[in-house]
Amino acid sequence: MGSFTSIASKEIKELVRDPKILFGIVLLPLLLYPLMGQGLQISQQSVEQAVKGATFSVYTEDTGQIAGAIVQYIIKNNTVTQLHASSLQDALTQFQASKAVAMVYIPDGYSANITVGLKGNVKIYGNLRNMNLAEAQSTNVAGRSVQVYDYYYSLAIIKQLMLATNSAGSPAAIRDPISLSYASIIKGNVVEVSPDQITGLIMSQSIMLPIMVMMMVIFAIQMAATSIALEKEQKTLETLMTLPVGRLTILSGKLAGSIFIAIVGSISYMVGFSFYTASAFSFAPGLTSGSLTGTGVGITPVGYLLLGAVIFVTLVSALALAISLAVFTDNVRSAQSLTGVLIVPLIIPAMILMFSDIDMLPPVIQWVLLAIPYTHSMLASKAAFLGDYWLILRSIIYISVFTVVVLWIAAKIFSTERIITGKLTTFSLRKKPKPQ
Amino acid sequence: MAPAITVSDLRKSFGDIQALKGVSFSVEDGEIFGLIGPNGAGKTTTLRILGTLISPTSGSAVVHGYDAVKEPDKVRSILSYLPEDAGAYQYLSGEEYLKFMAGFYAHDKEKANAMVEAARGISGLEGRLKDRVNGYSKGMKRRLLIARALMMKPDVAILDEPTAGLDVIQAYHVRGMIKEYAEKMGVTMLVSSHNMLEVEYLCHRVALVNEGTVVAEGSPQELKERFNAVNLEEAFMEAAHIG
Repeated sequence: MGSFTSIASKEIKELVRDPKILFGIVLLPLLLYPLMGQGLQISQQSVEQAVKGATFSVYTEDTGQIAGAIVQYIIKNNTVTQLHASSLQDALTQFQASKAVAMVYIPDGYSANITVGLKGNVKIYGNLRNMNLAEAQSTNVAGRSVQVYDYYYSLAIIKQLMLATNSAGSPAAIRDPISLSYASIIKGNVVEVSPDQITGLIMSQSIMLPIMVMMMVIFAIQMAATSIALEKEQKTLETLMTLPVGRLTILSGKLAGSIFIAIVGSISYMVGFSFYTASAFSFAPGLTSGSLTGTGVGITPVGYLLLGAVIFVTLVSALALAISLAVFTDNVRSAQSLTGVLIVPLIIPAMILMFSDIDMLPPVIQWVLLAIPYTHSMLASKAAFLGDYWLILRSIIYISVFTVVVLWIAAKIFSTERIITGKLTTFSLRKKPKPQ
Repeated sequence: MAPAITVSDLRKSFGDIQALKGVSFSVEDGEIFGLIGPNGAGKTTTLRILGTLISPTSGSAVVHGYDAVKEPDKVRSILSYLPEDAGAYQYLSGEEYLKFMAGFYAHDKEKANAMVEAARGISGLEGRLKDRVNGYSKGMKRRLLIARALMMKPDVAILDEPTAGLDVIQAYHVRGMIKEYAEKMGVTMLVSSHNMLEVEYLCHRVALVNEGTVVAEGSPQELKERFNAVNLEEAFMEAAHIG
């Protein structure tokens, strides 16, 4: 076994056997995400159950026939208790004492208003006992019931008026004379899907990859920095550097080991995350990528290949940076504090680009973000969706150049005594002499 | 015959601090040579220069004719270095650790296995080599590390504070291990320590180092006689003009 393979295989063994890394990077995503998804699904199902079984109260001050008709409609289509009270105050007291989650209140004058062609007032009270989502949604169900009645009642009124005036046409068309629909143009193709739905789909799918890359890079940075700091703390690095093996071989062997574990971690993360999305959003299927077949939107095999290359170079650049900085730390704790600082430029572009497009930002911020290599992995995932391969290639070239520069610096550091004597505390840059 | 190690006017500065102010000594082939001095005297800095870890500001360090600064790769191939307080990889077994280290010196599996077997004998850890290092006591770890440093039968072995942090019994065993190996194999050893009794037991000759300079050099007996001292500790105090 060559020195490089030997160091890489030692590194993998050490990392895999460390319970913190095995659990935190490999097992946790496999356990945590499916559990989170299951939890979300259970809570959504319980809300649906609560809404289905919700009961309403109806209190009317209006004794007219028109008011009676809406009350009958609501009673017929829901689980409703009609309240008999002397006043609104009395009705509200009864409502609060009941198990009903919403009360439909029809004030006096409702029938009279409608009779003379004015709007009839209806008010819904929601009883927020526990301030939860189910209570709010149940109140909305009562509201929707009134809206449905409103729609059909208005159609009936329009129909009567049309008969009286002997007019032609459809009551529904008279009520809503404009029929609005959307379509999108993507790469010259007209797609009968609204821009909102398409961007929603791209956002929901292209956002997963940057999140995954970000998580993977954070894990990798922490792992690589900890590994180097541990070697320094235990003086195994000092021993390694007196062996007949090139410094660059040590550096690349350690990098290779960390990359392997980071890739295993990211696979585990992807599997866990797919379980999460499958169970968490099972209740809302929505638009699927199948709806966009033939539109040119979606990731092709070439796109996946380029994305893989982006992830790989991003990972190597992050690891090289982490290793270069970790050599200046004395122990694991200070290495972890230092990686905390490295994570900031990783999170900032992720947060900004999650909610905004880079082209919409002021030019200065655009340049700052583009200088950060991790921004490019986020841009690349969207570009892969839209088939903009030149942009991905540009990102790969930029990150690769950045990585080569960082690796060159790391190799330089490794070939000097700075790796033994250099120290960087979390808050200050200084070299502490340590003669003995 | 040329000395195994020749250190000439070695100087090293860390910023404003001068760690070495012109250290010179030489070690003969097959000799156990000790560097004695308090913490901060410059022992580790000298050993790190010889171990090719750091470069001197001026002066030279030569191991079997190879300059540690100009020919570090040659020096690394004939020298074995054990840093002070060194550890081994926690999640590897003792045997895996030795195999990993042997791989850098042996060019085939047979030679590597022979080195691991040699280490098994030197360390006396036998069956415990199958266990992971994180289950070892401090003494066992040190025995493993010393065995690692000696298993490839280096031309020169540098041991920085080999018994530091060990209790009396563990230190006794480790010292015995080093002495037995050196006598049996005739390996040149450069040992640093601030334990004067240890050095007196182990070394043929010693250099007393204080504040970056060698204040006296000779065999333990010669030094005691020269400074009219009962032991090396007293000789050191006299040589360094302390107290």
